[in-house]
Amino acid sequence: MKMKLTFAGVAVAALMAGSVASAQDVIGYITKSATNAGWMMINQGAADAAAEEGVNLVSVGPAFQGDLSSQLEVFENLVAQGAKAIAVAPVDSSGIAPAVADAMDAGIPVVAIDTGVDGAEVTSFVATDNYAVAKVQGAVAATLIEDGQPIIYVTGNQAQSTGQERRNGFTEAFSAARPNSEILEVPTEWNSQEAQEGVEAILNSRQDIVMVANAWDGGTMGSKAALENLGMAAGDVKLVGFDGAGDAIAAMDDGWVHADTAQMLYQMGYQGIKAAAAAARGEDVSPRIDTGFFLVTPSTSGVYKAMVGIE
Amino acid sequence: MTDVPLPQIKNTIQDRVVLGLVRFFKAEWSGAFLAILILGIAIELATSGRPFFHPSNLMTILNNSAAIGIVAGGMTLVIITAGIDLSVGSVVGMTAALTGYVASFWGFPPYLAILTGLTIGLAIGAFNGSLVAYFGMPAFIVTLAGLSIWRGTGHLSTGAQASPKLPSTFDMFGRYNPFSGLRNAYKEGELTGFWNSVGGFVDDNWINFFRTFQMSMLIFIGFFIVLTIIIANTRYGRWVYAIGSNEPGARQAGINTPRYTLITYMFCSFSAALGALLFLGRAPYAKSDYGQMWELDAIAAVVIGGTSLFGGRGSLWGTFMGVILLKLINNGLTLAQLDTFWQMVVTGLIILVAVGLDIVRQSKNPESVRKLLGAIGAVMAFLALMTPASIYLHAKIALMEHGAADALREAGSKLATSQNARLLSPDEIGQLQTAASSNIAATLLLLALLIAAGFCVMRTSRKASFGLAAAFVAMIVPISMMGYQITAPFLALGAVALLGSAFVHALFTKARRLDVNAR
Repeated sequence: MKMKLTFAGVAVAALMAGSVASAQDVIGYITKSATNAGWMMINQGAADAAAEEGVNLVSVGPAFQGDLSSQLEVFENLVAQGAKAIAVAPVDSSGIAPAVADAMDAGIPVVAIDTGVDGAEVTSFVATDNYAVAKVQGAVAATLIEDGQPIIYVTGNQAQSTGQERRNGFTEAFSAARPNSEILEVPTEWNSQEAQEGVEAILNSRQDIVMVANAWDGGTMGSKAALENLGMAAGDVKLVGFDGAGDAIAAMDDGWVHADTAQMLYQMGYQGIKAAAAAARGEDVSPRIDTGFFLVTPSTSGVYKAMVGIE
Repeated sequence: MTDVPLPQIKNTIQDRVVLGLVRFFKAEWSGAFLAILILGIAIELATSGRPFFHPSNLMTILNNSAAIGIVAGGMTLVIITAGIDLSVGSVVGMTAALTGYVASFWGFPPYLAILTGLTIGLAIGAFNGSLVAYFGMPAFIVTLAGLSIWRGTGHLSTGAQASPKLPSTFDMFGRYNPFSGLRNAYKEGELTGFWNSVGGFVDDNWINFFRTFQMSMLIFIGFFIVLTIIIANTRYGRWVYAIGSNEPGARQAGINTPRYTLITYMFCSFSAALGALLFLGRAPYAKSDYGQMWELDAIAAVVIGGTSLFGGRGSLWGTFMGVILLKLINNGLTLAQLDTFWQMVVTGLIILVAVGLDIVRQSKNPESVRKLLGAIGAVMAFLALMTPASIYLHAKIALMEHGAADALREAGSKLATSQNARLLSPDEIGQLQTAASSNIAATLLLLALLIAAGFCVMRTSRKASFGLAAAFVAMIVPISMMGYQITAPFLALGAVALLGSAFVHALFTKARRLDVNAR
């Protein structure tokens, strides 16, 4: 509550400052998290694009990951204060829809980043196609094992489209290639502690698991901790990640992670704000901008690290 | 103090069992313990592969309970003094993050980093405790503010960034296995004679037993033993209860209540910091978003363990059981591979059952115990009913959704992809109609049984309970013949509960008599 008010206050203060400067367009940027490693990369991209475009970026985040009500509140404040465009990473695809529809009706372009909006038009949707990338993750994971060997899949939040698409994509592609392999699921709400405890429980009760695939790299790190807690060494059980986060790539170099489908996180924030700034100036913006992905394996990790700037 | 001679306790097995039951239900932890047992058996039946009640699985649960268990231990004392501490989760996050931060980036040696973490815990406790004890601020508000302040401070001081992997000293609080050295030495062939055979034994049983024998679990159990001894044998322990049950009275009796309240809050935050260290011992790195919502889990564990939120009454072993129950739910439901959304519902239901058991236990009223057993019978009938009914309802609902979605499409509204999925092909419609009609007989039969069981909860005679139990058993045959063998354990368990309910009053009368005599 207190956090929420602080955020709203910051938003208002920043908008006031923006209107005094007035030469700069105000672009509202409503992020999903300020503390998640992946989101910090997206936010960095957004900040860099804003500096390049010379717009005044007002960044606001929810009090905690998944807090829809504070996102709605901030959204309405930004509209009321006359932001020229709004970029939003919805915590809930359909929950945010009415607010988005109101803004679009008022003539304020809305760019959705990372997660789509279900039930309202947006000016542009800038994201990796989670479903398509998860299919690649599933297909690659399948090549790492024999048909019939059981695996664990650590899910993301199944009440969100990102979590659903990643799980469905992975499961479909993996099961198509390895129809006799059992997939045991560890449900999480994007919480690495849940991943660690669930993986530890299953690995402890079954000796035949050969791989743990994860819906995001926080889960990958939780799974790695579970393997370490059971005294396993790198490679005993293969890990497959999603996100291309720095710590997961480091774990790949140590032999723990065997494949990781990296989203171009920085690009997502960067191109999202570029699109929002263009729309604010009245330029045409493509309604769907796919920021792509990169398949990181031990042989391509060097290229990937050079590309995103991990030493 | 009575002149009427009491009946003598006969040393029969029956009397001993009754007395044992009385003693068991007098313990505050019995509600949580029963819930653990019931849930464990249910999961055992639902999981395949290695049995759930396997030592290594139980030790895994203990290992993963350790961090939050210690937090809940501190919380128990605060709640016994009729206070509350909502800031523990944030204190866990902040001390975990700062401990990892100073160990990684300030070059503190591990023991100094650990000391720093524990000191931060004590300092936060002193802050919270002083405001509550000396400034008279409500504990709820002080610690609610703390929930926000300490989380924010943790994020600020570390930039909400994860630390690198921590030095192995931290493993001593978590994943370190006291047997791993012995096993490695055995594998290297460095052992001789007696120690060689011990090493061989450890290695043979590594996966089955020794692998999960880790420091987390040992510290967790040790912490509760030490704390129980302190609370049971010191003045401080007695005064914690005194402050909780009657604070003004305690003050008039000469107890320095503010000082002991302060000490209790300091201990609670210290436990949170210790819990953070235990968590670090099993986590991949240190980060300031650890421990989110732990305050709620800790409070839930304390209450499930039979401690009163109004203070003055409660036990540490109850909390111990409460924590294990919460982790057991996660562990068991994951092993049983239950659907995610069902896990959420089931978790809540189990907590309700555990607290319900505790309330019935405290009421000491035979009628409510009988009702509880009757209700268990009804729930079993419900579970049996849902086997055919879920197929029937699912088919009916799918057909209804198809109809409604079709009507919407006809009316010209635009449907999202997820909504279009509710439209069915003619083939699927045919299958669903067959599914609905073939399950209706069993559904109706079991529905009748459920209604009878429902009446039996409200009012019943001993004969009716017997009759209903017989009906449960009789139902197994026709229902199994219809192809629902899976319902047999539910019906059998329901019959047992109903038989039990018929004897509750007699058992209570006997127990009262024996119990009075035993004093």
